[in-house]
Amino acid sequence: MATDFWSSTHYKRWLVDRATLRQARADDLLYVDDPEHLDFLALYFGELIVKLGRKLRVLPQRVIATATVFFRRFYLKNSYCETDPFIVVAACCYLAAKAEEFPMHIKVIAVDARDLFAQEPYNVKNFPSDNAKLAEMEFYLVDDLECDLTVFHPYRTLLALCKKSDASGDPADEEEAGELGVGIVGEDGPRYWGTGQGQLELPPNGLQTAWFIVNDTYRSELCLLYSPHLLAVAALYMTCVFHPATAARLASASAAAPGGSGGAPDPPPRRSSRQAAERKLPAQDPLAFLAALNVSLPLVATIVQEIIAMYALWDRYKEDAATADPGGTPDSRGDDEGGVVTPAQLTAILSKMREARAQEVAHPSNGRPFAVNKMLERTQAAG
Amino acid sequence: MDEWSSNNATQTDPMRMYRAKRDAMHRSVSSKYSILGFISSGTYGRVYKAQSLGEDAKIHAIKKFKPDKEGDVVAYTGISQSAIREIALNREIDHENVVALKEVILEDKSIYMVFEFAEHDFLQVIQHHATTLRTAIALPVLKSLIYQLFNGLIYLHSCHILHRDLKPANILINAAGVVKIGDLGLARLIHQPLQPLFAGDKVVVTIWYRAPELLMGAKHYNKAIDCWAVGCVMAELASLRPIFKGEEAKLDSKKNVPFQRDQLLKIFEVLGTPTEQEWPGIKDMIEYQNMKRLDPYTNRLNEWCHTRVRSQSGYDLLRQLFAYDPDNRLSAKEALQHKWFHEDPYPTWNAFQAAPQQIPPHRRITQDEAPSMVPLPAAPFNSHTQSKPGSSASMSGGGPYVVPSGGNGGGGGNGRKKARLG
Repeated sequence: MATDFWSSTHYKRWLVDRATLRQARADDLLYVDDPEHLDFLALYFGELIVKLGRKLRVLPQRVIATATVFFRRFYLKNSYCETDPFIVVAACCYLAAKAEEFPMHIKVIAVDARDLFAQEPYNVKNFPSDNAKLAEMEFYLVDDLECDLTVFHPYRTLLALCKKSDASGDPADEEEAGELGVGIVGEDGPRYWGTGQGQLELPPNGLQTAWFIVNDTYRSELCLLYSPHLLAVAALYMTCVFHPATAARLASASAAAPGGSGGAPDPPPRRSSRQAAERKLPAQDPLAFLAALNVSLPLVATIVQEIIAMYALWDRYKEDAATADPGGTPDSRGDDEGGVVTPAQLTAILSKMREARAQEVAHPSNGRPFAVNKMLERTQAAG
Repeated sequence: MDEWSSNNATQTDPMRMYRAKRDAMHRSVSSKYSILGFISSGTYGRVYKAQSLGEDAKIHAIKKFKPDKEGDVVAYTGISQSAIREIALNREIDHENVVALKEVILEDKSIYMVFEFAEHDFLQVIQHHATTLRTAIALPVLKSLIYQLFNGLIYLHSCHILHRDLKPANILINAAGVVKIGDLGLARLIHQPLQPLFAGDKVVVTIWYRAPELLMGAKHYNKAIDCWAVGCVMAELASLRPIFKGEEAKLDSKKNVPFQRDQLLKIFEVLGTPTEQEWPGIKDMIEYQNMKRLDPYTNRLNEWCHTRVRSQSGYDLLRQLFAYDPDNRLSAKEALQHKWFHEDPYPTWNAFQAAPQQIPPHRRITQDEAPSMVPLPAAPFNSHTQSKPGSSASMSGGGPYVVPSGGNGGGGGNGRKKARLG
């Protein structure tokens, strides 16, 4: 996370369009009754990585984010039904910890992963107790990631754009911001941010809200679709609208400054004069600030829509099965649009998918069984 | 039966289908390259010279990592932190003066990094002059080498990458006389680290090239450590021997970092004992009390440079690179602005342009004593016991010059006392 974003492998090779995402799920689609289940699975695995990260003596958010990006990239090239996503999750965390210079011992990851996955609602009883299996998965993972292990995240943009509010008494805020603020903050490094100086002033907890929204985007596949700085701007925009204190400031600012009306992309005022004006004004207009950034606002609006859609989906994802029928067949509620889905159901869906796929491969409709290279397997097992 | 086989497939080996698919797609090292010979070995693994079997038939250096081992047990515990770093960083960078990574092949638990091949390195140039030619390196050559080294270092530093192991063996030169910084195995990003740099690697930089703040026990350090190392490299090119050739104090059984008394003395003998005026932070350093007990010395760098660097501005550059206070040390960017580079003789892109007769002979390769570069099925990784420093990579004309070293070809020789921990 440091070289120039525009020349990074992240930008050049790992941002894809919707069609590519759809194509990546094509095989999985054959084995689910409702395509929506695949979106829920994306959420389920995002959630799983966060949980494993918390269990591993609290991995820093950036490690969790990198692990999630690795996971999503892996499933651009593979399908859930043909792999064991649980071992992939563990390998992603192991690799991300190294890639972010926060190394963890393989034993710790293996033990914690096995422990977590064996619990409800995952019920994975066959997670390998052998570290070598996890190491082997890491090896394949690096290969599938094409050795591109440097990942950019929106957090950096958030910190670059936002003035840290000193009035904030929230300890979590201090901790998180401090965590990334350590060290040499870009004294002479290339900034992939296109506009000039000037930082957005957010009321206490405003930055924290934006930070949480960014965390939440990893529950979806948005990190494959959009550059991190765009996700950051979208999160800031949502903070302006949904965070009560920020929204209140926004209202007062638009009342005071008739120019900054409702997020319309006004011609960006000259930065220097704006800066000067800011000092006299009681409050900065956050929307005018966002409008002045060198990003496409329609695109930001699209991303905001997608984040909201993700929240709508997440709303129907319930950890406790009080409202849903835990062991029940999820297909019975297949086209029930507003239905609730539990992790337990998703676990069942996933294992059904994988079993169906295994069946299919062992007894394909064209009568040609899938060849498995036993020799190679033995070699690997022996090594 | 159907039920059993399908369950079996997902239950016993959940990744069987995936593995079969991946292995079918795999293109092996031996199908893409023919191995011409062995170049060197080090703590990380071994380096080979190889030719592409493709149409271009280009020559490459293939670095094969040893897998990490846990004690004596050959349990595979994943890819080493050092390999992850080197791969992650090399995939992102692209600069004329930094060795280019062509591809990475993962095969049979080994990682093969395929680099552009460089015919020479600084150590080889030094040895060639010290033992074969018995003359100093021509000034335009010396200046061009250092200029290009700084040019590459500016790039790395602008990417927030600290090299942390700059030394003659790690700085390569290709046949066209272009300098290529190699071996990013100890390098890392310093942009917003999640943990202090010290937490990851207790000891960085080979002892002779280690900056005083590291020797004094600093837990926080920055790009200035690389600039100190360049100063040492420049002095070594000028005098054909390491300027601060100290004995490394070994880590104790608890892996505590000891006071590097001898190395500091070697530095003080040339640069004088540091004072609080020139390095205000020194009194807060961990080893300050230990340092106070050493005999005092006065600075005689000017005298040292007189016969060796043969230029007043060259002395001035060295003086500023050897500033004790890291905050006062010249940065790579500032160094390139130094007047030494902007006066006659000027640096050239072909470093050997001014003295083609002084080019060292081509890198010698040997047949590997290890069974095979590409492992036979189930070959144990410890099949080659660690070769003694320099035993397998006898350098061209490698005479009595300093510690025999196997280092070059993008790798650090373990003869040069690299300490790599954690």
